[in-house]
Amino acid sequence: MEDLAEFIVESAVGMGAEYAEARLHTDLRESIIFKNNVLEAFTFEESRGVGIRVLVDGSLGFASTNRLRKDDIKKALKQAFKAAKSTSKLVKHKISMGKGELGNEKVIVKPRVSFTSVDPEARTSLIKETDEEIISSASTFDVKVPARIMTLDTWITEKLVKTSDGASIYSVTPRIAFFALITLFHPQGGLLQRYINLGETGGWEACERWNLPRILHEETSALARVLIEAKKSPAGEMDVILGPEIVGIVSHESCGHPCEADRILGREAAQAGETFLKSDSIGLRVGSKYVNVADDPTIKGSFGFYLYDDEGVKARRRILIKEGVINEFLHNRETASIFGVMSNGASRAVAYNREPIIRMSNTFFLPGDYSKDELFEDVKEGIYVKSFMEWNIDDRRFNQRYVGLEAYKIENGEIKNPVRAPVLEMTTIGLWSAVDAASKDLEFQAAYCGKGDPMQGIPVWTGGPHIRLRKVRVGGMRE
Amino acid sequence: MNVKEIPSYIVDLGRKYGATDIAAKLIESQKVMIRFSNNEVTISKIFHEATIEIFVMVEKHRAATSINTLSIKNIERNVKTLIRVAKMTTPADVYAPLPKGPFSYDPRLLKAPEVPLDPETLSSYVERAINSALESGAKRAAGTLSAFKSEISIATSGEVYASQEKAGLELSIRAFISDVATGHFLSIAGKPEDFNPEEAGRVAGEIARAADNPVPGEPGKYMTLLGPMVFADIVNQVGILSSAFLVDAGQSFLVDKIGEKISSEKFTLVDDPTLAGSIGARAFDDEGVPTRRNIIVENGVLKTYLHNSITAKKFGKETTGNAGIIVPTPWNLIVEPGGKSFEELSAQIDDGIYVTNDWYLRYQNYRTGDFSTLPRDGIFRIRRGEIVSSFRELRISDNMLRILQNIVDLGRSRVWIKWWEVEIPSLVPHALISEVNFTKPLI
Repeated sequence: MEDLAEFIVESAVGMGAEYAEARLHTDLRESIIFKNNVLEAFTFEESRGVGIRVLVDGSLGFASTNRLRKDDIKKALKQAFKAAKSTSKLVKHKISMGKGELGNEKVIVKPRVSFTSVDPEARTSLIKETDEEIISSASTFDVKVPARIMTLDTWITEKLVKTSDGASIYSVTPRIAFFALITLFHPQGGLLQRYINLGETGGWEACERWNLPRILHEETSALARVLIEAKKSPAGEMDVILGPEIVGIVSHESCGHPCEADRILGREAAQAGETFLKSDSIGLRVGSKYVNVADDPTIKGSFGFYLYDDEGVKARRRILIKEGVINEFLHNRETASIFGVMSNGASRAVAYNREPIIRMSNTFFLPGDYSKDELFEDVKEGIYVKSFMEWNIDDRRFNQRYVGLEAYKIENGEIKNPVRAPVLEMTTIGLWSAVDAASKDLEFQAAYCGKGDPMQGIPVWTGGPHIRLRKVRVGGMRE
Repeated sequence: MNVKEIPSYIVDLGRKYGATDIAAKLIESQKVMIRFSNNEVTISKIFHEATIEIFVMVEKHRAATSINTLSIKNIERNVKTLIRVAKMTTPADVYAPLPKGPFSYDPRLLKAPEVPLDPETLSSYVERAINSALESGAKRAAGTLSAFKSEISIATSGEVYASQEKAGLELSIRAFISDVATGHFLSIAGKPEDFNPEEAGRVAGEIARAADNPVPGEPGKYMTLLGPMVFADIVNQVGILSSAFLVDAGQSFLVDKIGEKISSEKFTLVDDPTLAGSIGARAFDDEGVPTRRNIIVENGVLKTYLHNSITAKKFGKETTGNAGIIVPTPWNLIVEPGGKSFEELSAQIDDGIYVTNDWYLRYQNYRTGDFSTLPRDGIFRIRRGEIVSSFRELRISDNMLRILQNIVDLGRSRVWIKWWEVEIPSLVPHALISEVNFTKPLI
């Protein structure tokens, strides 16, 4: 592996590349797909190959292959060169690789309980038990759950990244993820659906800690209550408390994405879009002084964990919004060069056949000084939105919508009856400016963030504490 | 061993080691992609891949794998593991044997036209598309050009041995007059003579120019003209969520709707992979069954879900030739055209909106079909049949079934759509929809 990467990089430099990078990247994945009490299939997947990136005459070329004989590698390298050279006349601003703290390290995450110790039967039996908990939890409310789909994935990513300017990072990262979509039905309450995503870096111990039957039991109970007890959501101007699940997605969509330097430069303009921020937006106030948002790949056990990015740059915590002001963008070496800064290690590729691009890792609202109770105490009339189903945001990351799923009315500081589908449709600056307090707690959720072409769905965490928004307009469910 | 012989070798191995049924699919592909933004190329990429997908059943026990190390040793180890794992799993609720062949396939679907894969030719397409957008008034353009060819070889324990080629050219270009005045268009082709990068660039540029100086739109219900890129997104929802697997998972607004009128009678949707030379053409599905023309919605009535042999058995139907070994999938969605020109459709709008593109479609509830999506690029106010201004900041917040029911008319000319937001190639016209609900941010 080491020899092959060395060979690629040295050959590329010998051929005249200004920069070369070889990434030998293997993913070994096992999944179960479980639908309505039936194991649809157990699957395992091997994705093994090399991604080569070269910079020639200021033009970037990328080639990938899963054939790892030396002849095939040479062919791929030639193709990366050909790709770069043949389009160089359409590159007016020559690309260069900026500085970063390059590493020469091994980063191996060792699971406490290895995936191989849990056979397909044991995994299936856990999901079956979880399925039964869903049914039994709903039945106590006379609610049916006519459709349940669940997947449980475990995978190990092994990577060796070598660059022509001396970075060499070998990493082994095990990950585990659970997904569920459940549909609840009650003759009077109608239909309700909920996604649940859990994911961590580590071994099977994460799944044991989650206690899936308990989590799904509690989720189902809460949703069943919403289904049968929820009243029409109040509408109009009021205070809103957002739970960590929504705070996490808002931090991801309305802070993380806008702060990606490649978006700012327009590189994703035809796909995931651009951003309302500009190259000179560092220092721009976008929210109240209570808003602090970070992106941090170094959190142990997190779904978006890594210590070195796929350009060999050391990762670190990035404070994207500090006291309501844009503080830092997410960079790779290409954008770092344009902005005249050091790369802060945000470059990742999801597989051997994908180019590394700027990605978030674990994006979260930093906890504040309040206890959760204190946030509520000061709300005379408002709503508490704990979870969501529908959400989206425009491609400039300015106009967003979140429709509450588990949500409650607040009266005189107390959580009252559930309310149905409150709608928050707000601008990014409107939302961040309305924040007047954040609690001390901090929770994370797993997600796959989509970006790039071809699409790269990459593991991330989103998270935060509870936050309070003052006097925002809430819409009710469509009739 | 020749790589093409691997699928039948795997089937033989599977039988030897105790599989009741086994299917092996080899996909060899070459793809070149050039990405550009701000009128210049950002990266050129070349992909060479060969992957094997294997599915086994030991009676009701199922397991599947995908591997891309094609050594005999690795293949043999994986087949053995797959069968061992399948035997360990809990049995599924139904057993449906893989369909029994051999089948005969339409020879027109087995060969694909030659498409250029050299980066020089492809970069000249990019240059032509960008120049065309700029000549139409755009200040900058961004997008992706892809060219691919692939070969799918399949063998199954149902005596299927077949291979087919696929090829295509795809250009997606977005033109900018300003950060908020943009236009987007595509050229999607299964053969080079249908590929027109200049036209895509021109249309994107013209939409952007018309979208200049947008003003915030007002929320409300409007008679709305959906451009082909938006209508293809809606059509993809109907096509993808007609998969029997997703219906069974509750992930569809088409649950329990067979035989019901789910849309206006103007709407007929067909999955037709038998259109030779089109980008979604397929001769056989992942079980080796010959593909066929399936009418999903006929004059507003939902006629069928899309099936593989397992979902078919579960639903008491025949396979529709849409395997997806686990999840059936549409191949090539075709909307039957209406009779109106663009001008005739616009003329039916007294006070309404024309939306040329959308993105980020998300459901509040798949079962009910409540969703929202963000119009992007040109959003136009139409008064008395004419575009009078450009809008921004609006969101379509509605229900899939209501939108389908409210189709007033369809255009007679159609275009192929496939891009970042639209996964399944779709041949669609403009669609005129009444009472589309638009919302906007409240602060």
